[in-house]
Amino acid sequence: MTPLVLFYIAGAFALGGAVGVVGTRNVVHAALFLLVALMGVAGIYLLLFAEFLALVQVLLYGGAIIIVVLFALMLTRLQEFSSGVMENKQWPIAALVSLGAFILISVAVARSQGGAITDRAGPGVLLLGESLFTQWAIPFEVASVLLLVALIGAIVIARSGEGEP
Amino acid sequence: MITLVHVQVLSAGLFCIGLYGVLARRNAVLVLLAIELMLNAVNVNLVGIAAFVDHSKFLGQIIAVFVITVAAAEVGLALAIILRLYRNKGTTNVDQLNLMKW
Amino acid sequence: MENLTANLYLLWPEFLLAGLAFVVLTADFFLPAERKNYLALVSILGLAALIIFTTAFLLNRNAALYGGLILIDRFSLLFKVTFLGLGILMVWSSADFVKRYLSHPGEYYAMVLFSILGMVVMASAGELLTAYIGLELLSFSLYVLVSHAREDLKSNEAGTKYILLGAFASALLLYGISMVYGVVVQVGIPAPTTFEAIATYVARVNSLPVSFLVGMALIIAGLGFKVAAVPFHMWTPDVYEGAPLPVTAYLAVGSKVAAFALILRLFAQAFLPAIEEWQTIIAILAAATMVLGNLVALAQRNIKRLLAYSSIGQVGYLLMGIAALSASASNALILHLVGYGVTNLAAFVAVIAFYNATGKDEVADFAGLADRNPFIAMALTVSLFSLAGLPIFAGFITKFYLFLAAAQADMLWLTGIAVFASLISLYYYLIVIRQMYVEEAQVKTPLSLSWVTGGLLGLLTLGTVLIGVYPKPLVDVIQTATKAILP
Repeated sequence: MTPLVLFYIAGAFALGGAVGVVGTRNVVHAALFLLVALMGVAGIYLLLFAEFLALVQVLLYGGAIIIVVLFALMLTRLQEFSSGVMENKQWPIAALVSLGAFILISVAVARSQGGAITDRAGPGVLLLGESLFTQWAIPFEVASVLLLVALIGAIVIARSGEGEP
Repeated sequence: MITLVHVQVLSAGLFCIGLYGVLARRNAVLVLLAIELMLNAVNVNLVGIAAFVDHSKFLGQIIAVFVITVAAAEVGLALAIILRLYRNKGTTNVDQLNLMKW
Repeated sequence: MENLTANLYLLWPEFLLAGLAFVVLTADFFLPAERKNYLALVSILGLAALIIFTTAFLLNRNAALYGGLILIDRFSLLFKVTFLGLGILMVWSSADFVKRYLSHPGEYYAMVLFSILGMVVMASAGELLTAYIGLELLSFSLYVLVSHAREDLKSNEAGTKYILLGAFASALLLYGISMVYGVVVQVGIPAPTTFEAIATYVARVNSLPVSFLVGMALIIAGLGFKVAAVPFHMWTPDVYEGAPLPVTAYLAVGSKVAAFALILRLFAQAFLPAIEEWQTIIAILAAATMVLGNLVALAQRNIKRLLAYSSIGQVGYLLMGIAALSASASNALILHLVGYGVTNLAAFVAVIAFYNATGKDEVADFAGLADRNPFIAMALTVSLFSLAGLPIFAGFITKFYLFLAAAQADMLWLTGIAVFASLISLYYYLIVIRQMYVEEAQVKTPLSLSWVTGGLLGLLTLGTVLIGVYPKPLVDVIQTATKAILP
């Protein structure tokens, strides 16, 4: 199959999953739809020479984030995962705004240039790693501090501890 | 033949679906999932630009790595806060968060 | 590849700051419960030492690290020192809150120190990705700080709203960055996300393509959410009201100063050649923010929400400085940031002092404060008059320069709206002052004021008056900072 067909298939997963996330009435289904969408995105990465990113996408999003979301949902023990109205009162305006934004951005990118990519090679892990640890070392270090802050913060907020007001 | 326009329109579509989710959904976890969609849309855009235009440095992929990192950390922290809210209040319905009005 | 790590030693202040944060965090494990509150002192002394070290070390150095990712210049030095000072004030003002309510102070103070690190990165960033990561570090620390009062429902709610809002703003900002990246890299400019490269592109091109404009609009929207400009200000007053008081003060002052340092550098170094494109939009945002912020503040009965809306209004004046961007506008803007920072902090610390003594935060509860504790009443009055822009206080000088810069840029209509907004703000500040001095208190007991908070309050009030009366040394320092970004 040509890359274009594969692109359409992966895109269908991504967009279909996305619509499922914002449309379903069941929170757990929404998380699973997100998984489908993100796997579609991983497929797109494979087509665009981002093999390492595709790997990270599957491992991180599929293997960690969705699991964490599902755990959190289980811990909230929502008896009614799918009760109640899931949209707030302004959903028509939201739909209109989103549609308008989509049209605006599509018009903006319609004139993007970019040649054929059939005979290129991706950067590979070597180039990415080299770049991350040399040229982009400072944002990398700051990002690691950021992860530490998120970790500490999550524990500090969610732990059950001594009574505090 | 895939072109950059294909990729960027896909990215715009994901972004705007996520945008709708953030504006229209009531449950805090659903808003979070919609934000994840938006962040993934950004990554698709970045990787597409890196593949089609920036084919010596692939800067887009490097930025995408950082975005995935921040997004993952954000989900973790946000769920911790939402869980704490749920334990104290019993609901994660954003519309019902109205202790403070106007 | 040139030797990228040649100038790495210039980042010693950042490394030491991170080190201080780690020390404070881990010390919390080893100290017995009675000694834990010394961590506040450790943080303050550490920050003070860092201020001295940073000034001495970086005073005459200029460098661009990693090909423009981090810029060491007078601009970033000024803001680094400002943020470190703000950190000291923040730790000082939190001391009572932490002692009373938290059993692990090290975590709280470490979060504050990490947030300062984020702010420092934001002010030194010469490139979009680095700026974004610094912004996220600041934001994450703030998310944790806002939610720190774990059993308080309002704090939980504020934390949830804040992180969802912040994540949404980040997504917008990132999409904008990706679009700008796409456009600039297409013409073959190396290092396309640095501010220099964007400026080169903007200056080179005859008319900016739509995708660049959309990208810029998204960046403005994302940053607008972060500073709570109108129409991006939803939920911000809720966050301010629900967060613990010292954190609200920090949000109102710290995050805004850091965000505007970033915005100023971004617009002055990256977007300046295209000023005709964005000047009107920013001016309209400024006008809307000034007017809406101050009008809604009129209706507030809770002092935290009143100050929250008042700080939204202040963001309007700052945006006016961005719209009128020039060397004098930049000077005025930075001066206003510093002056507004000190003044707003003074107002908040006065409210903190009142809350610590009474546990109340409605405007009506302030009745008769002049009799119960004249010192707090005076401090609050001074800071409110300064916020309104009355002479001899910091607010007058800073607003005057800012309005002057806007008028010089041919935006008299905006200056007029700004004056009108200031008058509205004067009205609601006077309501609070009237409560304190004219109304009779329900309960006439005098209010106690701890030495710690009282000392801080005195210092800030003094600063407010000092900047108003003798701003020259500060203005001189600021002028060298502006020269670094607008030569």
